[in-house]
Amino acid sequence: MQGGLHTKHRTMAVPGASLVPILLLGLGIRLAAAHSPAGVECILFNEEYMTCTWGSGQTLTANYSLYYWYENRSPVAECKQYLWERGVRTGCRFEQSEIIQFQPFHVRVNASQDGRILEIPSNRMELQNLVKPEAPVNLTIRNMSSNQLQLTWSSPYPKAHCLEHVVKYKSNKDTSWMKQEVKGDIFSFPSVDYEKFYTFYVRSKINNYCGSTQLWSEWSVPVFWGSNTTSKGRSSPEPPGSPRHPHTVLTVSPWLFAGMAEEQLQWFWIHTVLIPIASCLLLLVLVVLLVRMERVWVIIMPRIPNPNKNFDDLFITHNGDFQEWVGVPKDVVESFKPNYSESICHVSELPYEPLQDSIHPPGVPGPQEHGPYKNSYVGA
Amino acid sequence: MSHAFFRSIFRVLPLLLVLSPVNSSSCTMGNKTTEIRVKYENILSHDIEELVNISAEYRDRCCKNKRHEHNKVFFCNDTQEIESLQSMACNMLKFFNKQKINKEFRRKAALVSCGTLQVLQCKCGRHKKEKVCMQVNAPNNEDTETVEQLKKKCNQEFCELKENISSLRSCWNKFEKIISR
Repeated sequence: MQGGLHTKHRTMAVPGASLVPILLLGLGIRLAAAHSPAGVECILFNEEYMTCTWGSGQTLTANYSLYYWYENRSPVAECKQYLWERGVRTGCRFEQSEIIQFQPFHVRVNASQDGRILEIPSNRMELQNLVKPEAPVNLTIRNMSSNQLQLTWSSPYPKAHCLEHVVKYKSNKDTSWMKQEVKGDIFSFPSVDYEKFYTFYVRSKINNYCGSTQLWSEWSVPVFWGSNTTSKGRSSPEPPGSPRHPHTVLTVSPWLFAGMAEEQLQWFWIHTVLIPIASCLLLLVLVVLLVRMERVWVIIMPRIPNPNKNFDDLFITHNGDFQEWVGVPKDVVESFKPNYSESICHVSELPYEPLQDSIHPPGVPGPQEHGPYKNSYVGA
Repeated sequence: MSHAFFRSIFRVLPLLLVLSPVNSSSCTMGNKTTEIRVKYENILSHDIEELVNISAEYRDRCCKNKRHEHNKVFFCNDTQEIESLQSMACNMLKFFNKQKINKEFRRKAALVSCGTLQVLQCKCGRHKKEKVCMQVNAPNNEDTETVEQLKKKCNQEFCELKENISSLRSCWNKFEKIISR
């Protein structure tokens, strides 16, 4: 009996016992999935300070703690200066004294919520490969001989020899940017067009001699050169052959840069979107007008003349007699006949005979038989 | 008579100890940093980069569990970068004859080691591993395995070599940064 009871309890306990680890596993997964950051990302900004972040305040809700150590060198220490966002720790800031390069660096982030702690380890890091230098400054353009420009700059990063750079440039007539890699801090632009307006940017990265990183700095503040009729008074063209001056045009403040970018964007929308659409609409309106308005249609597509009605009189009234319709005289018509013959009409002049005065006063013609017209004959 | 003999011996021995270059570095390029930098930047850095790229093609998880325990750890000590590089380069030469590692990879690693020793004008002490450098520079007429075949092999010795390569590259980076000031 008791054995039966024990068996019954045992069978009831087994499903309960198997559920507990499943529940714990589910809770752990839930905690990890809902609150775990994607990973810890560390960046050394210009080798002055470092931030290690694991997410944003929008996605994280747990309480996070960061611990770090250098391999075979230092004990584990906790972050002294946390970064906060919306009341949640999202990162840690390290000052320069806490940063050691060329020593393997480890970080561990603990997430705690409702009494449970989840450890989030990170990979071993080499801090010299996580350096992001500051953007170059003091961009300066000089006019060299034979239409050549020389762009120079300086970098806030202390070891200039460890940097490589990229120059990005284009003119106001170009549609895309050109990029050129530069080892030193001088860029020569071989042939410049004085009619164009050029814009130059530079950014930097630690080169392969001093590290292995893909972190580029931000783009520098731009520098401009050339003539631009659309941007009033920004710079004036320098005629060729003029004395060599350091033609430093402008180093523009970020606010002006933002305004110029907006203006360029507006022009872009006008040129590529507004004008084509307006042209298409105008064309459509013209076509519709063309089809609907007959007056316009007749001007563009004039009717072909049809002389059919002009000849109704010829065929109906005159029965196809063209000569009659035209109004040619009958004798002219006869004269065109091939068997036409005309009798000869002789015309002669009678001699003059003075007449007696008693009978007929001078100037008065006599009887017809002696008249000068006696023998005249006009044949028909 | 005998104590005169011993007194003379005792004077000579300390003198010999002071004069013998026991602990001095066997690298002779110490102060010529400009020359070292030129050779490193123009020649050696490209070979190191190529070697790192080849070793990066191996699956990284292959060596994750094989790290730490039996590996000899090399540090790039502050103010002793040249000595650290010498130590790393000499250690890397021993992998040249490890048959479990791909032959071409071994050869390239030895090439980098020999290049490091040549740039720094260093020797490797008693074992005279520089003989390996003569073999490395000799033309290789045998067939070499392809990179695809490289990816299949992963063993403890390979992981050690990979770790060594990474340390050597980091130490060169550190040295370059220091002399760039």
